[in-house]
Amino acid sequence: MPNEQTSVPLFASGEVLTAQNLNLSAGTGVPVFATTVTRDAAFGGTSEKVLAEGQLCYLSDSNIVQYYTGAAWATVGPATSGALVRVGGGTLSTSTTTFSNVFSSAYNTYLIQGNDITVSASATMRLSISGSGGTTYSSNTINMTYTSATVTGDTYNGSGNFVIGTPQTTNTGFEMVLVSPFLSKATQAFNRMSTNTNCWQSYGVDTNAASSVSCTILMPGAQTFSSGTINIYGYANS
Amino acid sequence: MTRPDTRIIDGETVIDREMTETEHEQFLLAQNEAKAQAKAAADKATARQAVLDRLGITADEAALLLG
Repeated sequence: MPNEQTSVPLFASGEVLTAQNLNLSAGTGVPVFATTVTRDAAFGGTSEKVLAEGQLCYLSDSNIVQYYTGAAWATVGPATSGALVRVGGGTLSTSTTTFSNVFSSAYNTYLIQGNDITVSASATMRLSISGSGGTTYSSNTINMTYTSATVTGDTYNGSGNFVIGTPQTTNTGFEMVLVSPFLSKATQAFNRMSTNTNCWQSYGVDTNAASSVSCTILMPGAQTFSSGTINIYGYANS
Repeated sequence: MTRPDTRIIDGETVIDREMTETEHEQFLLAQNEAKAQAKAAADKATARQAVLDRLGITADEAALLLG
């Protein structure tokens, strides 16, 4: 049965549902398969639909939607490869939020992007990576308010975290590039942040060469996150 | 003693729970460090302002002079 329909049926009250009606409905829905192997085995057998152009499916193992071109299966999305692929993220809460299992051998460099971050009181927001539990981080920060040309610099040597900047109680955005957190090497951080009143840049290194799979964003005090969304992306290695 | 809560996000799974002892130690380390750095920054700002007051100029004017 081909997938092209000539109408979108609407059943009237009391109308008999025939096998043909049901086959049209069930056959053009989006079947869910565990793998490409079970997908391929599900078509063309006895009492099974013949695979035809336009067929859709969802694959559980890879979490993707595909369509059949008439000759091969193609992926609709979400993208599983590309220059920048989302590997994790979510909503900030309490004083610390950990993003688990976001760093892997698939990528060497990551973009951590935060938006609409609001905190209960202004303080310096930080980020740590899971492989490093000591004071092996160093950061340099520079910041300016939007009402003065004065540049203020601070250095954080022998710290327990990378310094991101100081979010205000209203919305703040930042983006940090982390280089080689998963590799057994030092990790470098390049960050920029903007609030309603000032802007920050920070550069840092964690000389601990242990591999990290997770990162934690924290407000080191009584401050808590009132809002904030984090998205973490991996940069393609080539 | 009750430890603060933390959020753990792993893929689509979100868990809000009390910090473990190790997590709390790391958090206290960051907290103490932040307090010390905030105090150092405040002391530096106070000292800077004292110099500006003695000179009778603003921070922007001082930046102009030094630039």
